[in-house]
Amino acid sequence: MTTERKDTAANLDEALERLPPTIAPGRDLWPQIDARLEPRGARHPRRWFWPAAAAVLLVVGSSLITARLLQPEAPTVASQPAPSPDAGAAFAAAAFGPGQTVGPTYDAAREELVRSLSARLERLPPDARRQLEKNLAELHRASAEINAALELSPGDPLLEELLLNAYQDELAVLANVNQLAGGNGAGATNDPTRMQL
Amino acid sequence: MTRTGVVAAPRCGLADQEAGSEFERARRLAEERALVESARQGSRAAFESLYRNHVGKVYGLCLRMTANVATAEDCTQEAFIQAWRSLPGFENRSAFGTWLHRIAVNAVLAQGRRRRERLGADASVEDEAAGLADPAVGDDGAMLDLEQAIRRLPAGARQVLVLVGLYGHSHEDAAAMLGIAVGTCKSQLHRARQLLGEQLAAQEVVP
Repeated sequence: MTTERKDTAANLDEALERLPPTIAPGRDLWPQIDARLEPRGARHPRRWFWPAAAAVLLVVGSSLITARLLQPEAPTVASQPAPSPDAGAAFAAAAFGPGQTVGPTYDAAREELVRSLSARLERLPPDARRQLEKNLAELHRASAEINAALELSPGDPLLEELLLNAYQDELAVLANVNQLAGGNGAGATNDPTRMQL
Repeated sequence: MTRTGVVAAPRCGLADQEAGSEFERARRLAEERALVESARQGSRAAFESLYRNHVGKVYGLCLRMTANVATAEDCTQEAFIQAWRSLPGFENRSAFGTWLHRIAVNAVLAQGRRRRERLGADASVEDEAAGLADPAVGDDGAMLDLEQAIRRLPAGARQVLVLVGLYGHSHEDAAAMLGIAVGTCKSQLHRARQLLGEQLAAQEVVP
């Protein structure tokens, strides 16, 4: 580096250091902020999540309807151990960082799926059920870790995207349960790899 | 009174000034913690005080990162709204200002992502330069030119320069926030400095 370049770099550093860290906005932004503050305790749904969730819900919904129409009384797989009694208990409320939810439509559909999970698990072969429970546990752990990270860095776009993916994956797994346990039977298999995400 | 009977002169040296400023810092920190706690309980008045104390720094960051006044105002508002929502989860592990700064960076990045989604992958953030207005940075002509030179930088280089060069983040920290590799962060800073140097040399504004 030439002396002239070194001088320019040093001058640049000096100039950057002299820049004030604060700049006053041209107008008072508080009134607009104040108008949008929800009372403490209110949970705010993420608006941008809805279009993404709608696509998954469509898949889940049609899966449920297909399952009920095609095989309303699918036989329970015999001679398998009872499912863990708290198969659905590990489902924490779907949140999107502190004080935020993913929307009432998503919550309602998910609750419906979780409620029917234990019954549907009974219809699965043991290997498939174990794999399913393992996948769900991993997804719940991932969601909890991402939510914890979001508390430290609220609004982080990458974390939000990861969390969205985790919730979508969870819904896909739950939809998979419907296909395997309540569908036309084509998916009822002992092959646990069919449960892979 | 000393053991020799001489009355000690009042101490007003550098050590006293440092102790004074240390005391002042501690007092401000305690005040801020009280405001944060009140805001956490739901006090809008306390949150407004926090807003008044921090808006300059948040807006400065947003304006420099987005290079657009309207976008910077939107991001500033989003940052404070997000902070209000997330306050119950804030555990004083870092200073409130540091936490808020991080939220503001996230607001800027989220806004950029939404904009890219809206305009398509080819849309460049530099398009926004058309809507620039001069920020209120005082009447120092050289500083104003430097601000303008920063705003003319490509978005990626500008964001790294603002985070690392202006606000003192490490490359690791900035890379994590921006979702890029540390090596990319370093090369973006190098690029930013090079472009800035060229611009300023052309204008002969570097002091």
